[in-house]
Amino acid sequence: MSLDITTSSPDETLALGRKFAALLTVGDIVLLSGRLGSGKTLFVAGVGEGLGIPDRITSPSFVISRIYRDGFLPMVHADVYRLGSIAEFEDLELTDDSGDGVLFIEWGETVAESIGDDRLDIHIDIEGTDRRFRFEPSGAWYDRDLAVLG
Amino acid sequence: MSGPLVLGIETSCDETGVAVLEGMSVRSSVLASQVEMHERFGGVVPEVAARAHVEAIRPLAHQALTNAGIHPDQLDAVAVTRGPGLVGALMVGFAFGKSLAYSLGVPVFGIDHMEGHLMAPRLSFDEYEPPAVVILASGGHSQIVHVKGWGDYEVLGGTIDDAAGEAFDKLARFMGLGYPGGPAIDRDSTEGDPTAVDFPRALKDRPFDFSFSGLKTSVVTYLEKAKDEGTLPERADVSASIQEAIVDVLVEKTFNAVEATGVERVGGGGGVLANRRLRERFAEEADRRGVGLFIPETSLCTDNGAMIAGVAVDRLNAGHEGDDLRGDVDPGLRLGA
Repeated sequence: MSLDITTSSPDETLALGRKFAALLTVGDIVLLSGRLGSGKTLFVAGVGEGLGIPDRITSPSFVISRIYRDGFLPMVHADVYRLGSIAEFEDLELTDDSGDGVLFIEWGETVAESIGDDRLDIHIDIEGTDRRFRFEPSGAWYDRDLAVLG
Repeated sequence: MSGPLVLGIETSCDETGVAVLEGMSVRSSVLASQVEMHERFGGVVPEVAARAHVEAIRPLAHQALTNAGIHPDQLDAVAVTRGPGLVGALMVGFAFGKSLAYSLGVPVFGIDHMEGHLMAPRLSFDEYEPPAVVILASGGHSQIVHVKGWGDYEVLGGTIDDAAGEAFDKLARFMGLGYPGGPAIDRDSTEGDPTAVDFPRALKDRPFDFSFSGLKTSVVTYLEKAKDEGTLPERADVSASIQEAIVDVLVEKTFNAVEATGVERVGGGGGVLANRRLRERFAEEADRRGVGLFIPETSLCTDNGAMIAGVAVDRLNAGHEGDDLRGDVDPGLRLGA
């Protein structure tokens, strides 16, 4: 039951993130995968705009995670590319930090087993200047109306 | 030499730095770098960093005092980075600094790491003082700051996505050049032609802001296309072209800020300011415009304890008496906020 959406510019990716924000609810966990330059952070920046977060959503890669508390929902934005193990990921307690909000994890496929079944996987493929977003819901995400994104 | 004796401690990221300042003169400055430990991950791993700080901090503090020829009892204050940075890493230095200050009965100053970078040129140049425009660029930060006075800072702009050092790291990793990316690309660029590939310079319409995300995408797309078509240029040419694109943007935006504020001094700090091409271009541009350039030697651009102590020296000179020992680290600390 996955959904594919293609964007053809950075602005469209931002807009998709903004639209996606409307689907979010407390406790949501979204794992993003896709290669360097595929637009993972840009999509989350769009989500930040949609959530009314006044701060700039900048890359979390260097600091591993950033917390934004000034939107409609608190948002934790993480990049787990450099973590050595699932144990290290669990030490960070990101799911606790985002308990009253939403959690976005870039390169999240590496920690999926620690997250459990209630999650949305978004995989981004680079197709020239286009980006194909594949939304794959699990658990509670099955009931979410992803079709409104199309 | 004169002025208070201050021990400065820096543990916000992957370098443990301890230094002793007498006034604004560096009596000693020692560093334990973790670069080799983080190399295999292509970046800093928080837990690895915190553990390494724990192991390094005490012997390093001892060494800093020995090198300075100072007994701990002679210290007038202890300065320690309070944020921003990795929480676990910050906590190690902060707990050590507070304990030391408490046991010696001297004040402790919790210092903003970024303010440390703003103060660092002062340790190299007596004539560096506000007002100035300072570019701070490292793996975690890219900002242009208007230093109106000590303690009075306005962030004029910064990155809207990746920090400059992060762009270097990610692209070096993509090209298989290793970590840290800045020095790797700097080295690889030596023999390269910076005009070989015309990578984009983004955000022309926003005078003080940077974006390196588009560059990243453009490099990836370019390399894959060139590989498919068999038109791949020398790697050194690609490195030099990437470096030129990043350097161009940092120089242009910084001097936009110099022009807009009308200041006559421009400073720099953060690991990216160690880049040779960037220093060369800053020197040319400052010379051309007749403004004073205050980018200290590389060891004061990258993270170090001396710059942290420097901020505390300024505070002491201004009559401040130190911070509450009950204070805590603040990983999300923001300059000027």
